[in-house]
Amino acid sequence: MSEEHFVVIGNGPAGHHAAATLRLEAPSARITLISKEPHGCYRPHLLPKWISGHVREEALYVCPVEEYKAMAIKFRSGQRVVALNPSQRELILDHKEMLRFTGLILAVGGKPRIPEPLRNFRDVLFTLKRLEDARMWKEEMPQVDSVLMMGGDLTSLAVTKALLELGKKVYFMVNEEAFWPLRWSAGLFEEMSQRLRQRGVEVLADQRVRGITRKGDRDYEVQVGPQTVRVGMIGAFFGLMPDVRFLAGSGLRLDRGILVDEYLNTGFHGIYATGDCAQIYHPELRDYWVSVGHDNAVELGRTAALNLVGNTVKAKGAGKCIFEIQGIKVNTSWWTEF
Amino acid sequence: MGKPIRYSDDPEDFYYMDVNVPCQAACPAATNIPAYIRALFEGRYEASYAINHMANLLPGILGRICSRPCEDKCRHGEAELGRPVNICHIKRAAADLRRKDPPPEPGPLAPLGKRVAVVGAGPAGLAAAHDLATLGVAVTLYEALDKAGGMLRYGIPEFRLPREVLEEEIGYITRTGVVLRTGVRVGQEVAVEDLLKEHDAVLLAAGCYRSLRLNVAGEDLPGVYPGLEFMMQVCAGQAPALGRRVLVLGAGFTAFDCARSALRLGAEDVTICLRRTEEDLVVTKDEVIETKTEGVKIASLMLSRRILGTERVEGVEFVRTRPGEKDKEGKREILVLEGSEFALPADSVIVATGQRPEPLRITVQGKGEQVLKADPDTLSSSIQGLYVAGDYLTGPSTVIQAVGMGRRAAEKIIRDLTGRAFREKTVRMEDTEITDRKRAWDYLPRQEMPTVQPVANRFQAPGIEVETGFTAEQAREESKRCYLCYLHYEIDIKRCIYCRYCIDVAPRDCIKLVKEVQTNEAGAITGFTETTRWAEVNAIMIDNSRCIRCGECMRVCPVNCISVTRVELTERLAQGGKDHV
Repeated sequence: MSEEHFVVIGNGPAGHHAAATLRLEAPSARITLISKEPHGCYRPHLLPKWISGHVREEALYVCPVEEYKAMAIKFRSGQRVVALNPSQRELILDHKEMLRFTGLILAVGGKPRIPEPLRNFRDVLFTLKRLEDARMWKEEMPQVDSVLMMGGDLTSLAVTKALLELGKKVYFMVNEEAFWPLRWSAGLFEEMSQRLRQRGVEVLADQRVRGITRKGDRDYEVQVGPQTVRVGMIGAFFGLMPDVRFLAGSGLRLDRGILVDEYLNTGFHGIYATGDCAQIYHPELRDYWVSVGHDNAVELGRTAALNLVGNTVKAKGAGKCIFEIQGIKVNTSWWTEF
Repeated sequence: MGKPIRYSDDPEDFYYMDVNVPCQAACPAATNIPAYIRALFEGRYEASYAINHMANLLPGILGRICSRPCEDKCRHGEAELGRPVNICHIKRAAADLRRKDPPPEPGPLAPLGKRVAVVGAGPAGLAAAHDLATLGVAVTLYEALDKAGGMLRYGIPEFRLPREVLEEEIGYITRTGVVLRTGVRVGQEVAVEDLLKEHDAVLLAAGCYRSLRLNVAGEDLPGVYPGLEFMMQVCAGQAPALGRRVLVLGAGFTAFDCARSALRLGAEDVTICLRRTEEDLVVTKDEVIETKTEGVKIASLMLSRRILGTERVEGVEFVRTRPGEKDKEGKREILVLEGSEFALPADSVIVATGQRPEPLRITVQGKGEQVLKADPDTLSSSIQGLYVAGDYLTGPSTVIQAVGMGRRAAEKIIRDLTGRAFREKTVRMEDTEITDRKRAWDYLPRQEMPTVQPVANRFQAPGIEVETGFTAEQAREESKRCYLCYLHYEIDIKRCIYCRYCIDVAPRDCIKLVKEVQTNEAGAITGFTETTRWAEVNAIMIDNSRCIRCGECMRVCPVNCISVTRVELTERLAQGGKDHV
């Protein structure tokens, strides 16, 4: 083994592929992959299909955990990094262990965004980012017959489809926050609303939540604009925010995500950010962007790993029309703002 | 029996306080934070308020609007220790929960036969006037506006600072004998030169009331408002109609106050536009959260290039920025990304990018009329007897910085007028018992300030205070989290048997086997060279900068060789009061 110790934080698609690429590119390096989730890498885009029963749990996983051993990657699952000192090249884990590294890839991903005006209700809102979230949806499904979808990001459209397949009544709020990460436009708004209605969804247009009252187990009264909706479950789908709060004060440049250059470098030698937590200026968009979607994450994960071992590969700009939602093709491989 | 109470002016002890009680060291007014938190824990609310008042004069006000440099340095906020203690809101709790009697004042001291004019009744002027008056100086406090308070009254909205709290604490200051003359604009109605003739000294603490301009095209269009003027109109109940979409340019407390006030005036879509990032904001995290909770959006990395519109403002053209390298003062350079221009529509634009003082021109003998300048260290100007303090000297700062500087100015003036010091900083040391803090308290979650809910209720009237204050139970619970860093644990190495039980129970690497210690010029310990080889061990020492005062070491020590001293940076009459009547 060489003196190199590469650490990858996050075992989503970006982190997993970063670690695998490092293994290929630096065969003698020590590699540690840290994940706060207690299991191996899975495909988050399949979670709605798992909820509806169209995919078995085993099919979610990218590889068995044993494979990391075979790749000589030290996999630390269920461990959370709480602080980073980039100049000293040290990490602190929440069990107070300090870990040193020579190279680091931050692939910590995003976390569900709950807008501040709704944060008082967060205990009753269901989100869908992790496997554990999906497990909770799955457990609730037999006991609820109606769901209110708030926020309306792209994940919510897939969940709505799953709910309809399970025979649930779905209320879907459509306002200017809907369809993240797309920029709102009247045309899209109309077209998407129409298609949702055609599928039997009750669209609540141009309304905001004014209050939520818990009437009993799986029984909520939600005041949406002037009307009241009674549902068994409330889903919050306001997009993802990079999960970078633990890096505040570390010296890394943070905005919504970790600011990086086109090579995904953070400004500190040997420290890269990639996937859903990296924020990069895109000359064609004339704006900052943070990637979304599995394929982008995989690509960016590989790019960060290649650059960490000495290459100079530019992060590829977002592709166009990579998503098809409710029959509409849209450019959704990035988001720029909330 | 322990040693008697000791007082020290040894630089070594001041250095110790700086390093080991970081909250107090970070406070510009040197508030004895562990002491007032402990007093609150014991239910002594009046004492807790008085300890605060002794240092910062405005506990009820600062408990609401302080910028909280102490919390940034709180040891509880270190990486593996959780979140800082909610120091500021404990301060407010002491103010809320006490009996509403005026706090004790030092003295009365005999009149000194000196007259001082203080110009500006903002935080710096009020603090200076208070200190001078309590030391026996006849003080006249001049204020250009209708009422005392300065930025506290005219720059901070009522929903963050209720006016009855302001009246009460300003009242505590004026009752010390300060003569308040409001509605007098020094420099116009009264000349500084005349004040100098009538008084032994004059302190200018007139604040910063001139908003900075963007110097971009379209800035003079109707619908573009300078931030401070806008806030002054809001505070006076004369706010303009803003329309539906409002852009606020700026990143400080004024920008946030403008944005939240705009919502209360009926704006529906309010965005604060930052040149930097949210990470770089100097406003408190609570302020950011509450602002977003109310519905204000925060957009970052954008620089205004021009204001758009013909007859009236219609929007702002921005360009994207990116953070560059940090300069020597730790401030990050901001680089413009050319070719990234974009526009946002707006019905009104509020420019809250900073303020500066109104330059004062003064006649200098033999040199004619000049703009007044002063030394930020000595607070003295080039004119005998004329001093300058607060935002008027430094540019926009925080209330706690202004209070600290106002008090420093009073000290300087009285020293120059009488040739002697009346107050001195001292390190007070008193032997004490082991702390009754439980180790479990280190894991208590931080208590958050309750607020008016649902949010819509905040907008029913412009003056509804958003933060409703801790209950007594919440305040006590939060006070338990303080490590009480003013406790100093020390091992008597003459009695230590090097059993190392204390090292075994230490929750972090705070007890060290030491080969040698490093000291600075003052003799204070600045570092340790540790060793794991017994032959090299010369001492076993507690590293107080790592110690979280849990007391575990003391509990397990079989030979009772660990002692606790309460060490406090405090203020007392100079020479222990011997010179004073």
